[in-house]
Amino acid sequence: MEERADIDHLLERYLHLLHEYTSLRAELNKLQAGLYQNLARANFAAERGMRYGQDQYDDRMQASRRVVAFPSSSSPACATFEVVKVEESGTADAAEASVSKSNEAVVSEVQSTRREEDGDKEEEVKDSLAEETKPKSLEPKAKKTKDPLRWFGLITPMPLRQAQAQGVRAVEDIVPKLVSINAEMVQVEIEVRRARKKRAKAEAAAKKSEDVTSKEEVTI
Amino acid sequence: MASTADYKDRQFLAVIGDEDSVTGLLLAGIGHVTDPPDSQKNFLVVDNKTETSAIEAAFDSFTEQRKDIGIVLINQHIADKIRHRIDTYTAAFPTVLEIPSKEHPYDPEKDSVLRRVRRLFGE
Repeated sequence: MEERADIDHLLERYLHLLHEYTSLRAELNKLQAGLYQNLARANFAAERGMRYGQDQYDDRMQASRRVVAFPSSSSPACATFEVVKVEESGTADAAEASVSKSNEAVVSEVQSTRREEDGDKEEEVKDSLAEETKPKSLEPKAKKTKDPLRWFGLITPMPLRQAQAQGVRAVEDIVPKLVSINAEMVQVEIEVRRARKKRAKAEAAAKKSEDVTSKEEVTI
Repeated sequence: MASTADYKDRQFLAVIGDEDSVTGLLLAGIGHVTDPPDSQKNFLVVDNKTETSAIEAAFDSFTEQRKDIGIVLINQHIADKIRHRIDTYTAAFPTVLEIPSKEHPYDPEKDSVLRRVRRLFGE
């Protein structure tokens, strides 16, 4: 009886996961359909002979969205997936921010100490500091164009950008959830089969003991 | 049970699909080419001329040889061509997910996950 309750509980969990899986599937289908439609629109409006496809891929491409897997909180035996954006220029941005921050601090310090002094001199100091910061802050900016849209030119059509947004949503939100649910479903399937096996064994043992007692009764 | 070591380095998504599917996903930033001399791509563009053996080889490469792939996305109509491989693939890493394509919408009857569900309920 207890085993049956366990199995029912597991199946209930499994059906919840299945419901989640099918609704995510529907969402993915909708997103993918929109993505294909937008790509078709971009190709339709493109210059003659131009097609947004593999001919324009960059052979040195580096993934900016990557998979992170970690043990699931609900059942540690299976993994949960996430797709995160990797900021290639993250360090450059941070460096840029710190450089400009420190310079701002220097400027304000200079301003406070020289308040009583001549205004023209202050202007000169500000200008010279601004000049110093300019080349430093421009350098890292030049490195950070890793956007795949740029494979297709500097000015890309709106449908292509919309297709990219839909692709990002599919990859970041839907795909990792779908694969995580799939992993959890596999785990529950294993548990259900184990529980069924256990129940079958228990039933067989009970039947055997029943047979033995009935035989004993007959002999008495 | 999957240990942390199994998926620690699996940081890329791979895709086997038609040109539009691959373009859409690469636009999202999942495309990666490893450093030369290997220069291995994590995607395969499949068209009418692509041999089934090439699809199978790419699937093998993404699921067995390469240890940096965490998720393999494959168009459902392409998965149909190597259905025996997809259905017998049971490893937890990388995980395989079938996605719809432009000309072949998602068919739940062919989905390996839903086939497993039917098996569990004894159909």
